Amino acid sequence: MIDLRFDNVSKRYRIRQEDATHHAGWLNKMRSRLGPGKDFWALRDVNFEVRHGETLGIIGHNGSGKSTALKLMASITTPTRGEITIRGRIAALLEVASGFHPELTGRENIFLQGSIIGMRRREIHAKLDRIIDFAEIRPFIDLPVKRYSSGMFVRLGFSIAAHLEPEILLLDEVLAVGDMTFQKKCVERILELSRSGMTIVFISHDLAAVERLCQRAILLERGRVAGEGPVSALTAQYLTRMEPTADDRPAVSERIVKIKSVQFFDESGQASLQFRTGYPLRARIDYEASTEVGPAVFRLHFFGLDERLHCEFVSGVNAAPLAVTAGPGAIEFRCDEIGLQPGIYHMDAKAERPDGSELTVLRRCALIHVGEGKQVHGTFYAPHTWHPVSDTGASSRETSEHLSGII
Amino acid sequence: MQNVSPTLAPTSVPDARSTKVIRPPVFNPVSILRRLGEFKAYTDLFLTLSLHRIKVRYKQSVLGIAWAVLQPVSLMLIYIAIFSIVTQMPSEGMPYAVFVYAALLPWTYFSTAVSAATSSLVSHQQMVTKVYFPREILPLSYVVVGIFDFIIATSVLACLMIYYKVAISFIILWVLPILLVETMFIVALSLLFSAIQVQFRDLGFAMPLIMQLWMFATPVVYPLSKVPARFRSLYLLNPMVGVVENFRHVVLQRMSVDVPSLRISFVISAVLLLLSYAYFKHKEATMADVI
Repeated sequence: MIDLRFDNVSKRYRIRQEDATHHAGWLNKMRSRLGPGKDFWALRDVNFEVRHGETLGIIGHNGSGKSTALKLMASITTPTRGEITIRGRIAALLEVASGFHPELTGRENIFLQGSIIGMRRREIHAKLDRIIDFAEIRPFIDLPVKRYSSGMFVRLGFSIAAHLEPEILLLDEVLAVGDMTFQKKCVERILELSRSGMTIVFISHDLAAVERLCQRAILLERGRVAGEGPVSALTAQYLTRMEPTADDRPAVSERIVKIKSVQFFDESGQASLQFRTGYPLRARIDYEASTEVGPAVFRLHFFGLDERLHCEFVSGVNAAPLAVTAGPGAIEFRCDEIGLQPGIYHMDAKAERPDGSELTVLRRCALIHVGEGKQVHGTFYAPHTWHPVSDTGASSRETSEHLSGII
Repeated sequence: MQNVSPTLAPTSVPDARSTKVIRPPVFNPVSILRRLGEFKAYTDLFLTLSLHRIKVRYKQSVLGIAWAVLQPVSLMLIYIAIFSIVTQMPSEGMPYAVFVYAALLPWTYFSTAVSAATSSLVSHQQMVTKVYFPREILPLSYVVVGIFDFIIATSVLACLMIYYKVAISFIILWVLPILLVETMFIVALSLLFSAIQVQFRDLGFAMPLIMQLWMFATPVVYPLSKVPARFRSLYLLNPMVGVVENFRHVVLQRMSVDVPSLRISFVISAVLLLLSYAYFKHKEATMADVI
């Protein structure tokens, strides 16, 4: 049973050159409004199906056509070519809290949102309490939503979409917002809906979340389907498409150190971009110096998709700074148990002088995927060991005596 | 987290689901008119949105509901000052206040509803680009607000009529078909203008001017009888003429309705409504891309 099908769907956008006609007369302006503009194909001959009760993930980099695909499914716009077949009532959460009316209260907005996806007031009434409780905003439900914090906004938006029980649910980057605890709650709710037989299309940058939630995914690239299958099979393909960009800022002075490459190796010593929480990771930076530099510090920054710095590897923590001489060189960072939680991280590699002045920086030089490994709760994994303690009260007294002896 | 997991009914039987096929937009009047049926599924949204519209409008203003009355009343006072004190405008034997107010009532309904509806899609960009619903709901919800304001403002007319001891008769029931024709015309223009406004913001800027000129092309401050006979047939092509003149006649003068002028208004409104709806629905398909 197919709930959603794309048959050779293409979507063209017209890009009109408004700037060029800025100084032109009204006649030219009119012509540019009505005449043909430059074409941009956001989607080209896209074919895929979503089976009944399935959770399909759509992944792709920015500009790959993910959001256009979702807008087409949600009937917000129409395809230029092809045909989309939808079986069932659809609800989309394209941007959390997008349809909210700021002047109205949370309660009124629930009714507004519900009726937008075509629900009757009676149906919404029946689910009102669950929506409010899930969003954890009961004390504020009768305040206008413009008074809400951004967190409350997000929670209410997700809660409405997740409780209105459409037959097909479209979710776009819903996990990109909100705090960790609520994100977790969202994932649980999506899994629950999925188990209840709801058909879900999930779009995200967060490969780890897609992997957890979706049985199958499609990878979009420049408006075409570049791959289809289990998420794990697409991850590598997705990650290799991220191209490194050198520092685009104008060089302050001639760069005397150049970072040539950053490579990663997993526990077996294989070059890889896929790692697991709590398992080893090695990173190697190859550089070249045009002249003798002297002492230098290398840094490798791990950024999450939220552009937050999650951790860094830095040379010179436990030892004296490396002395960089003219010519090529390489250093290796070794971590036996990485503490990063599952997700995608992109890297900046930097070299600087011990006083902090920058020598070079290579932005977005790599993108790694951390999968589930040693699963623990919290924001990061801390390497640890444990063993049973068999001693009794006697030995602990011994310890405290020992301690007091020191004091 | 016990609120998360109460019994979750499995989604309804697959076979009972409706199937929808989305194809590229083609201009086909028959299929467009068939989409009228879709509106039915969204009546709840239409009502919710219209109600909210009224609430929001009065929620943050101090005078609240009084604004519905203030606009026609202040216009009435201005016109009394100009056309009754500064210069003498014939008012068919009626006190000028009640004469002009009875025309301002349907006129204000028209001008505020059409002006607000024109910018309705543009001012709800967020909604239009992020969720789907039949887009005509947005301009139409402003027409509902117009009706609401109209009813509130009627109270002032009732007071004026009592004060000036204007008698009424059963003829007043004619206001219903007259208002129906007016509403048809308002809906037609709202659909047309809001769809145009998405592409050309110029219309929104021109709106106050258009409405001002239009009012003087409608017998609001003067009676139809003052329009020279040779311009009459051209003048009557303005659907608001038949509406406003007849409204005043049946409410104030116990004169039976002037069928020919109302018929012209009706025919023009009906034809325009069909065309506007078709145009709106055709433009709707790509509205989210252009807005």
